[in-house]
Amino acid sequence: MDFKDYYKTLGLERGASEDEIRKAYRKLARKYHPDVSKEADADQRMREVNEANDVLRDKDKRAAYDQLADHVARGGSPDGGFRPPPNWDEGFEFHRGPNQGPADHADFSEFFSSVFGAAERRGAERRNYRARGEDHHAAIEIALEDALNGAEREITLRSQELDAQGRPEFKTRTLSVKIPPGVHPGQYIRLAGQGMPGHGGEPAGDLYLEVRIAPHKLYRVEDRDLYMSLPITPTEGALGAQVKVPTPGGGVVEVTVPRNARNGLKLRLKERGLPGKPPGHLYLLLEIALPPADTDAARQAYEQLAQAAPFDPRRHLGV
Amino acid sequence: MTSSVSITTTTLSASHPLAASELAHACGAQIDWVVQLVEVGIIESRTPAAGPDDWRFHGSDLQCALEARRLERDFGVGLEAAALILDLEHEVRRLKGVLRAQGLGREI
Repeated sequence: MDFKDYYKTLGLERGASEDEIRKAYRKLARKYHPDVSKEADADQRMREVNEANDVLRDKDKRAAYDQLADHVARGGSPDGGFRPPPNWDEGFEFHRGPNQGPADHADFSEFFSSVFGAAERRGAERRNYRARGEDHHAAIEIALEDALNGAEREITLRSQELDAQGRPEFKTRTLSVKIPPGVHPGQYIRLAGQGMPGHGGEPAGDLYLEVRIAPHKLYRVEDRDLYMSLPITPTEGALGAQVKVPTPGGGVVEVTVPRNARNGLKLRLKERGLPGKPPGHLYLLLEIALPPADTDAARQAYEQLAQAAPFDPRRHLGV
Repeated sequence: MTSSVSITTTTLSASHPLAASELAHACGAQIDWVVQLVEVGIIESRTPAAGPDDWRFHGSDLQCALEARRLERDFGVGLEAAALILDLEHEVRRLKGVLRAQGLGREI
């Protein structure tokens, strides 16, 4: 396990003020926001930035982290890897306040959970209060085929718990999750009791898995509807045609392309999208593809077409 | 130490919705905050209801609520501004999906 330099992650010096930390975080959170960032590793960078911010914006965690950083600077981990020294967090208490938002630490590094995970928990136990455990959030990416047919997927969760002597201990749990057919992006699968343990005898929180569907080579998913580009020839578009189309369920259907179909025309195959109540539709977006003019016969045919059907697609430009 | 267990799951939907208190807990918040989200239109009850006790929410509401929570916490924005940011985010994602389907995804 490597020691994480949270100041470096946020581009800050060790003595940075709270205001500087907040500003640096907001700047980077905008830079790596998944909807605006053009960086290939934006997701990973955003996780690192979130983790650094979680520690440095909290006075207690930051003080404990600084102490740990001093220990490392003094050569505290001679084998190159990092291991927190015993009782390093003595005298510090970490906890999540009631308005600190969801416990979404599932994405954070092993360094974070080994350093702060158990300490957060111990802090809660020291205060001796009763509350249901926090809900946890994670995402699960599945193939479109799994969304159509349902599937069973294993997920691995890592958490730290305290053993009988109060020492942190890593536990890995593998859960088998049933994905029901018809699940669509943005839906949540709820696993009761798989969140954080409760405090003072109260029940554990739940785990919410956000469903994401991996990009598919043919279909794009929007809610329960599926979209697919359907290439047709100019002849098929002009005269109409019957064309064969693969459906996501594995079958093939014959679709009527209407006469004088324009590029971008949307055809709907009712209830051929993701299953559900009601089922989604499959939309075909017509895309007119030109036959290459790479033989004399083809070139001649194009010329004959130009003569037989004079057509100026640029008439509206007025030149 | 590794252990393997099989557990029953539910998918949030019309037949398994979330109550306001469950949505609040999932976001690490209080019910008052959920009431504010409904007031600014970030989420809406999926069943007609007299008051917060009878409200029911779907997965898309949880997604919006979690995003609003992060915007509030990370950028200090008010919920009205969060509502606008969320609308714009969703539109950007939809448009990117359309472009990707037309093979233009890498250019944006």
